[in-house]
Amino acid sequence: MAEEAAPLLELEGVRAGYGAIEVLHGVDLALRPGSLLALLGPNGGGKSTAMRVCAGLHPLAGGELRYAGRKVNGVSAQDAARLGVCSIPEGRGIFPNLTVRENLWAATGTGARLADLEEKAYARFPVLGERRHQLAGSMSGGEQQMLALSRALGTDPAVLLLDELSMGLAPMIVTKMYETVAELVQGGLSVLVAEQFARAVLPIADTAALMLNGRVVAAGPPAEIEDRLSSDYLGG
Amino acid sequence: MSTFLTYTILGLVLGSVYSIAASGLVLTYNTSGIFNFAHGAQAMFGTFLYWHVTERWGWPVWLALIVVVGLAGPAMGAALHAVIMRGLRGTADVTKIIVTVAVLLGTVYLAQWIWNPDEAHTVGMFFGAGAKITVGGVVVRYHEIVCLAAAVAIAAGLRVLFTRSRTGVVMRGSVDDPDLLRRNGHDPERAAMLSWALGSTLAVLAGVLIVPISGGGLDANALTLLVIDAFAAAMFGRLRSIPRTFAGAMVLGLAANYVLAYLPSAGTFTGNLRVSLPMIILFTVLVVLPQDRLRGAAVRTRERYRVPAVRAAAVWAAALVAAVYLYSLLLPESGVTTFALGMTFAIIALSLTVLTGYAGELNLAPLAFGAVATVVAFHFGVEGTGLAARMNIQGVLLAVVAAALVGGLVALPALRLRGLYLALATMAFGEFLSNMVLRDTTEHHLFGTTFTLFPDGSLVVPPLKVGPLDLRDGTTFLMTATVLFALIAVGLAALRNGGYGRRLAAMKDSPAASAMLGQNLVRLKLSVFMISAAIAGLGGVLMSSATGTVAQENFSFTGSLALLMLVVVAGIGYLSGALVGGLMAGVGSAVLVSTFGDLALANEGMATIYTALGHLVLVGTALVGMGVGRNPSGFVHDIIDGYRAMRDAKPVLYGAGALGAVLYVLALTDVIGTWTFALIALCAAMLLPVVGRSYLAERRTRPVPLELAGVDEPYTDELRARLDRELGLTAALEKGGARVTA
Repeated sequence: MAEEAAPLLELEGVRAGYGAIEVLHGVDLALRPGSLLALLGPNGGGKSTAMRVCAGLHPLAGGELRYAGRKVNGVSAQDAARLGVCSIPEGRGIFPNLTVRENLWAATGTGARLADLEEKAYARFPVLGERRHQLAGSMSGGEQQMLALSRALGTDPAVLLLDELSMGLAPMIVTKMYETVAELVQGGLSVLVAEQFARAVLPIADTAALMLNGRVVAAGPPAEIEDRLSSDYLGG
Repeated sequence: MSTFLTYTILGLVLGSVYSIAASGLVLTYNTSGIFNFAHGAQAMFGTFLYWHVTERWGWPVWLALIVVVGLAGPAMGAALHAVIMRGLRGTADVTKIIVTVAVLLGTVYLAQWIWNPDEAHTVGMFFGAGAKITVGGVVVRYHEIVCLAAAVAIAAGLRVLFTRSRTGVVMRGSVDDPDLLRRNGHDPERAAMLSWALGSTLAVLAGVLIVPISGGGLDANALTLLVIDAFAAAMFGRLRSIPRTFAGAMVLGLAANYVLAYLPSAGTFTGNLRVSLPMIILFTVLVVLPQDRLRGAAVRTRERYRVPAVRAAAVWAAALVAAVYLYSLLLPESGVTTFALGMTFAIIALSLTVLTGYAGELNLAPLAFGAVATVVAFHFGVEGTGLAARMNIQGVLLAVVAAALVGGLVALPALRLRGLYLALATMAFGEFLSNMVLRDTTEHHLFGTTFTLFPDGSLVVPPLKVGPLDLRDGTTFLMTATVLFALIAVGLAALRNGGYGRRLAAMKDSPAASAMLGQNLVRLKLSVFMISAAIAGLGGVLMSSATGTVAQENFSFTGSLALLMLVVVAGIGYLSGALVGGLMAGVGSAVLVSTFGDLALANEGMATIYTALGHLVLVGTALVGMGVGRNPSGFVHDIIDGYRAMRDAKPVLYGAGALGAVLYVLALTDVIGTWTFALIALCAAMLLPVVGRSYLAERRTRPVPLELAGVDEPYTDELRARLDRELGLTAALEKGGARVTA
């Protein structure tokens, strides 16, 4: 096997929790440049906490978080964003009381230009262009998710963190969203996706990791992980 | 025509100052989600600073403006954010309100300490009162033109900031989701701090502008309330829209001046109406404007309360009655009277526990219901005259019923309003009542009878007499109030544990979910408001008769706020929180401040120190209120948790009981003073959990002796390592983990 490129984002033995309750008991993950890593697993497995740790929103109780090989434990979320880690949270990653255009404006905090952001977002999702002066909270769930994803399109990040992109969306929209993500990966972006519904993301994933009870229990090619899924979801 | 024009211009000027104050409120509310009750207090403090540098130090106006409005204003706002407000994310509405109320009270106390309220402080107009031009027969002063221009410029500037600049967009985003803002590469705390600094600057500017046009006299309380009138303007824009806030402020200013111009000036009615007009408008706007829909998802807040068990509540109630009786034996007559007053406040505080603690509804004017009940009891329940005058039981019952009915009326807006809006509506109601009813000293002729609602501005309320029970005697009064408190408290505990209480708790957590379960929210809210108002009414009548003579000041807005603040500090979800908070409100500060006042009068030389201490106590209470953000469940919660953990530390409990008994005997036989006893007992009660915890900790960590290690437990690596260490076999450990195998 050829020498693999050094990971862009890496968790090693990461422990984290809420108060006295530890949720992550030593998580290891590595995201290679230009690949899509799917983090799978049932509810309550610690996926979202792991994603928050990667984005700099949750403190580590142990282990290391590395960006491009450099230890960045305790990095703040705004610094992480400026370093090129674009993270889209669970649910809708938008400001409901701002208009579509103002949402894109807020997304320029990492140094992008509003004009570029608007151009890319409206080209990819024309419906956003029609609604640029509408309050984001008044759009449909799919349109809100498009707006959230637009941030990844226009700000030119190095790493994209996506948490439960499919939540509450129609299957057709989910497919469309992941098509966009796949295009971004082809363009060289590295993407970490946490997803409960494995079928949606496995076809475009390069690697997959299965997370159960705060540990990564398996990692490897999507096909291998897919075989384990049914037993771990239902029996584990 | 000239009258009309004059009053129109005066109205626009007043409106523009309201607009400046209100836009500051809208700014901070939109960026931090906190409605700043202390806005008026900040305006007041800044204006006093302005007075100080211009009058006391003689600085020129331009320099004073730069330093006070340009530097001190933003600094005050930024400091508030950094020290207090940023800690309020994720707390309930009542906590947010209480913290800003504490800032309000603390700032007023501080200002009265620094600038003696008995001296006159006047602030002049810009360019002097003589600088004016005449337009169409109407005189307009330069100062008034400055007000108008500043208001228009600020409204336009804020509108541009909010919609045409990224900073403004980020500020608006920070209230929705601070974490998302971080993910976007912004610092939400910086945006919030900027908005607090700006808001505080606008408050100070409004204060400096409004004082000269409302007479020039500077009074801490009056100015604070004057800016509170701007709340109504902010509500026109539903706390969001700057242009609508501007329009609302103009309506408010014009209405206030037209009332003065065109209503008959005989009697107290017009003057009172003029004063309470902003509150009437606030109430109307709150009720009429469309409001937010019911929130679907439950919002998790940081407050946690345990539900009291009825049996435990009954035991504690009996213990309370016994303790109060034993303690009353130690007190002199005056002490008993003060204590009784505190107990009546505790009864009023119970009305807050059921309403806010159990049902999650807010009431910022509990004393207003006490005032309603007092007025009714005075008119219908007094028998006899002079010293022989007594209140009869029918009067008290009627008063309680009247308070409950008024409570139901106030609840009508509550059927549509939630959280902050409801709090503002009750505040408006309380202020309205205080201005219209409690100041109504003229005679009315209605249905052939002549009566005066509040003769001479004060009521003499005699003590209650029921059969053989005569409350003229201090100890009897105290014990009756205590027993009433205990009975109501046990009743509320039973209520909370019953189906009704669970329905209230469900409504508090998620109105939408409980409506979907088929609950009738209208009936629930109406009934809980009436229960609460009835309790407040009963407490209010007793409070009035414990005070003897009551006037408008006894039911003031600040009094209500101080009571609510202390109850929240103690723990509004607990019956014991009501007891502690009520006692602190009724006894605590009054006794301490008057004690220090008396001491200052008695010792001329030490007067300044004692007066300072008295002020410090007041500011200190407010500081405690500001700390609520750190510990939103109240300190009673912590103490209860401490005692709960001590059930295993029996020796400590017995020791404490013995200590208490010894102290009591010593106090009863006059070996130690009453105050010494109270202080030692209080300290012991607070420290007991700490002692208990260290006792338990010590018992738990006492190490097993080496020779017994591994006898009754599995032999672990850790034990082996310890054996090695104790036996000096360090070499084995240092060899990189190679262990001696057993």
